[in-house]
Amino acid sequence: MKFLCVLCDQPMKLLEVAPPDRGTLSVVYECPECAHRIAMLTNPFETQMVTSLGVQIGPGGEQSESKCPFSGMVQGASAPADDTLPWSGKALERLERVPEFVRPMARTGIERYARENGFREIDEQVLDRAKSFFGM
Amino acid sequence: MKSYFDINGDGGSNVVGQVVAKREQIARSLAGVKHMLAIGSGKGGVGKSTLTMQLAHALRAAGATVGILDADLNGPSQARLAGLGATPLLPGREGLVMPRTASGIGVVSMGLIVPESKSLDFESFAEGDSFVWRATKEFTLLGDFLAGVAWGELDYLLVDLPPGAERTVQYAEFLGSQTAVVLVTIPSDLSRGVVSRSIAALRKAPNRLLGYIENMSGYACSGCRSIRPLFPHSTAIDLGIPCLGEVPFDPDLAAACDRGEALPEDAAGMAWQAIRGVADRVHSTVEGS
Repeated sequence: MKFLCVLCDQPMKLLEVAPPDRGTLSVVYECPECAHRIAMLTNPFETQMVTSLGVQIGPGGEQSESKCPFSGMVQGASAPADDTLPWSGKALERLERVPEFVRPMARTGIERYARENGFREIDEQVLDRAKSFFGM
Repeated sequence: MKSYFDINGDGGSNVVGQVVAKREQIARSLAGVKHMLAIGSGKGGVGKSTLTMQLAHALRAAGATVGILDADLNGPSQARLAGLGATPLLPGREGLVMPRTASGIGVVSMGLIVPESKSLDFESFAEGDSFVWRATKEFTLLGDFLAGVAWGELDYLLVDLPPGAERTVQYAEFLGSQTAVVLVTIPSDLSRGVVSRSIAALRKAPNRLLGYIENMSGYACSGCRSIRPLFPHSTAIDLGIPCLGEVPFDPDLAAACDRGEALPEDAAGMAWQAIRGVADRVHSTVEGS
């Protein structure tokens, strides 16, 4: 989907995606010529269609994963609880490489293993030990 | 006034770029897979999943490295067939570590994630009318599996397809031309008719159609050690593709599947012998290509 400023005959630039609100999305565009702004407002059904494609909406596309309103909503279900263990940066990188819908379960499982074995932080060593422990 | 095609790029989210990046990630993830085989039918209940697992066991017994992707997201059964009910899911260096059976077959299935007592539900912003977006969501999920699992070096990645003639061809197209298709039928006109329809649809797809397996091809009686008829044999419908083997129904195999175990490698077992024969034919066909 593209937006054209009719007065300037110029394609409008995506400026920002507002935080999601009850399944709706507000995407702001600006004309680079006259600075006129519009907002595309999606209804929950349209938002769902885009989410189903597994793509992110926002400036920068693939670079904006952490800011993506869609993934933010999906990841809400996996928000860390207060009693979760800290993860090192490298361990988190590994977690980010597994499918998003698997992460909550992977996180829970590895933290359970860590607690049972006296680890206070999840790092790559803990992940490798768990892999050996479970014979994988 | 400019038209759609006068404007380069998209609305600013680089959706096409994201789709291309995902495809490239899938290709990298599958780079070590030598042969991808989709096991489908079109008809439900003919034993696609059972044969997928048993074919994996037979290929593994012949020395191949094998993985299974359970693409039946709504009715996953490979986790149970593999006996992997309570297996933890671990993040590895290259993606999700593949859970493995005792014999080393890697298995990735929604059954590892969603308990059998629950259906696969997606969070939705929209209430109702999920038929519009659900199929798209499922293919996205399948892509996430393909891209996010550390498949490693495999001789065979078997993909267990969901039922439905249209789903068979959709999944085959999604998996791409590097995936060959094996169809499963039972010896009834009803089943062969549906499989014939799948074959017609698959002829328009880019995938190679290796052949079909006739499952439940008689009843393997362990008492008299013979194969007894199970269905009135169908000869009216010529499927027009090679038959890779006829596998008799074996109660021992059914029991082993429920336990999540492999069929014992009994040289005298008629079902096992048939499955070994299928594996040999599949192997010689793909290696000969």
